[in-house]
This record gives sequence, C-alpha cells and structure tokens, in this order.
Amino acid sequence: MIIDVNAYLGPFAFRHLRYQAADQLLTLMDSRGIDRAIVSSAAAITYRNPHPANTDLAAEVAHHPDRFIPFAVINPAYAGWADDLASCIDLGFRGLRLYPKWHNYELMSGLCLDLIDRATDRGMIISIPMRVEDPRQRSWLVDVPNVPLTELADLVAARPKARFHFVNGRGFTGSVLGQPENGLPANYRIEISLLNVHLNDEVETLIANLGPDRLLFGTGMPFQYPDPALAKIEVLAPDDVLKAQLLYQNAAEWLDPPIS
Amino acid sequence: MIDCHAHLHHHSQDDWERRDRNLIEVADRLGIDQLCCSMLTPRRPATPEGFRQCNAWVAEAINRFPDRVLGYSYVNPGHQAEAIDEIRRCVEDRGFIGVKLYNEHRCTDPVVVPIIELAIELRVPILHHAGHMHYVPPEQPLISDGGHLAELARRYPEAMLICAHVCGGGDWEWTIKSLRHAPNVMLDLSGSVIDDGVVEMAAEVLGVDRLLFGCDMSMTAGVGRIRAAHLDDEAKTRILGTNMRSLLQRRAS
Ligand SMILES: [Zn+2]
Repeated sequence: MIIDVNAYLGPFAFRHLRYQAADQLLTLMDSRGIDRAIVSSAAAITYRNPHPANTDLAAEVAHHPDRFIPFAVINPAYAGWADDLASCIDLGFRGLRLYPKWHNYELMSGLCLDLIDRATDRGMIISIPMRVEDPRQRSWLVDVPNVPLTELADLVAARPKARFHFVNGRGFTGSVLGQPENGLPANYRIEISLLNVHLNDEVETLIANLGPDRLLFGTGMPFQYPDPALAKIEVLAPDDVLKAQLLYQNAAEWLDPPIS
Repeated sequence: MIDCHAHLHHHSQDDWERRDRNLIEVADRLGIDQLCCSMLTPRRPATPEGFRQCNAWVAEAINRFPDRVLGYSYVNPGHQAEAIDEIRRCVEDRGFIGVKLYNEHRCTDPVVVPIIELAIELRVPILHHAGHMHYVPPEQPLISDGGHLAELARRYPEAMLICAHVCGGGDWEWTIKSLRHAPNVMLDLSGSVIDDGVVEMAAEVLGVDRLLFGCDMSMTAGVGRIRAAHLDDEAKTRILGTNMRSLLQRRAS
C-alpha cells in the first residue's frame, strides 16, 4: 500500500502537465503501485477566485472516492472564502492547501488563522506547499517567493491544535522545524519529494530528530516524476517497518478519520 | 551507468573525505558505475592556484577510487595561459576525460576560444555550466544558456559540448528547444528538479543519442527521472552510459 500525500489535478498556468486529468493520474498511480493520493487543483493556484477549481476537482474525483483524497484551495484574502470552505466541506474535502505567496496574504493574518481554526474544527489537514515549481524556472510574469520555513514555524507554534502538512519543501534540517526538542508542538508532518537522502542526509536527520512518524511519502505528481520519491524510500529504508511507515502508515494515521 | 556530472568535495570542508566516500556509496546503491567529477573552488572566479589545487585533488581521488571516478579539469578561462597549461597537464598526464567550465565567462566570450580549440585538439568534451532563467540570477550575470552553447557549437562544429544540468538550470523547455539544431551539443539531464516529462521531451526534440544521464549530486532525482521516462530499455541504456562512453572514446589516445 502506498499513499501519496502530494498530488494535483487540472491544468497549471505556466507549464503543460501530462497527467492532469483524473484518469491519466490514475494510470500513472497504477503503474507505480500508488493506491491513494491527496489531490488539489493546480488551476486554483493562479485563479483569482479559486473556488470553481475546487468544484471542478470534486467532480473529477467523485468517481474514485477510494483513490483520491481531495484537498481544497481556499484564499482567505478573497471574498466569500468562508462560504467556499463550507461548500468544500459539504463536497467531502478532507484538507486545505494554502498558497500564501501566490494568493498574497500572510499566514499569521487574522483571516488566515480564522480559516485554519474553522478547518481544524472540521477535522481538516492544513497542507502548505513551500513552492509550486523550482524558483529558477519561474515565468517572466511572476516573482512568487517560496514560503519561508520561519513563517511555518511561527504558524505551528500559534496553532497547536491544527494539523499541518508541508509539501514541496527542503532545508528543514537547517530550520527549527527540523531540530529535536525544538519547543514546537508535534502538529506537523513533512513530505519527502524534494528532500535529500544519503548525500545530505536530510531525511535521515529528520527521522533522528523528529521521529519516524513525522515524514510522509509524496511525489508532487503530475508536476514531478513519481520515481525519485520512490527511489528515496528504496535507498533509505531496507527495513520494512520504516518503509511501511513512510509509504502509508504515517499518512493513514494522520488523516482524520484515519484510513484503514 | 555513468554519471556525467558529479562533484568532489573541496578539502577546505573538514569532512570532505567522508563526503567523497559517501558519494561512492550512494552510487553503489543506485547502480552507478562511474562518476565524471570536477571540483570547484569555494570562491569564484577561480584563481590559477585555486583551480590547480582542485584538479590535483581530483587526480588523487581518481587514484583513491580507481575506475569509479573520472576527472574533468576545471579552469577559469580568464586566466588563459594557466588554463591551457592546466588542461593539457590534466588530460595528457593525468588521464582526465574533459574540461569543466563554470560561469566566470560566457561560453561565447572570445577568451574561451583557445580552450575550445584545445579541447578539439585533444578530442575531449567540455561540460559547460548552463541555465536559462527568466530572472537572471544576480550572482551569475555571465551564466551561459542553451542558446549560447548552440551558437558556440555552430562556430565550432568539431567541439564536443555538454550543456550542463537541464534539470537544475531554469526553464528546461527553453533549453531543450534552443539546442535542437546544434547536433554537437549533448544534453546533461542532471539537477535537483524532478519535473515530469523532461526526459521524454528531450528525447523527442534532440534524440536519445544526445542525452546523458547525470545527477549533479541529486542522486535519487538523477536516477528516478530515467526510471520514470517512457522510453524503451535500449534508449535508456544509451542515456545511462553508452552515449557518454562513445563520447569518451573519441579522445586522441
Ligand atoms: Zn553547474
């Protein structure tokens, strides 16, 4: 069993994605033995009003409730976000994906914290991509920075009851988020697709510092190839217990209610 | 499998020895047989003393890891006479396989010409740092991109050029398209970016014979993207080693 906690459906504004439709992504998942994937809309990243992208996503995943776990993209700086959240909960969304830099708001702003509190009350996970694409390839139209790890650390400290899930990140070992006994609540999990194994030992260090239950397998499909993440698990975990934790157990337990 | 783009650790890092050994161990785990390595000076532009020292340490590593580590001679073309001497010494006496150029000068700068001509004479490839960013990185004002390498290749059709790390150099679609009509530029697929579709697009636009497997120290990315690509085993075998091997076989004895 493999659960991918970092996947997307729909088109992206700046690059063609080959597996952007649900049936295409399912084919790719099947070819790699990936059973389930947390997905959010890639189109929502650049829509001014992201909500129609959530409803499109809901329609796409509706036929495959056993395979896709939908996360909503909500912009708390945009009119009507609370209504959008309520509608996403009705549509069965299990978490949020937040894009503070793309959507131009502060994570620690009152509106964003309000969104996080409401979503937390409803059992949703708060997923924050540190970036969408590598900054070196950004379009001439955009100059969106990565979400700094310091901002994430402030947020997890400010909202101990929320459950955070950081994807497309790296550099955690140099941040308080990756330190042992860092005084932060253990309310966050880190996805591995861009982390280093072996050469810089980022995954190994995080396992040692935070514990083996704090890392989650993710690929970044269809932006990214799934195989590098699978290769990380292969070189990292000859031990089947750790492998199972990383590939699915941690993610299954992290979702509320847990996946069995 | 031959990794066409790897780096050894500068000896000013106190754990360079462990890190170099670690590199070979990771290569073992992933089935990489040989690594084509250069060592860069920590501060650039490199001085002649700086690049000579780096190359001497690469030569030591070749002895420490026989048949696993292959060496590129790193020079700064701005120090022209010293660079020419150094490349000759490395290739002719130490058995280095080629030349590594970074971003001290754009590859089309006339100061680079004697190095290109020497590499042509020695029949060794030049691995050139490259990237196409729509926001030019302020720390790399003279970075070359695929277009510059294509222009250089047009001027020197006998040169064997390798455009470095398409997956660590910005807009990879731009890079691939810019190289289409430059048959003597090979594309190094290395880099930390694991975007879907790079390998297939490169194969379609440039042909599999122009593609070289590489990691540039992002080992699971390098191996993962080749595993992922929708290409047949024959094509993958060429990318993973055959193409680089035939490039290396062209050298003047
Ligand atoms: Zn480079």
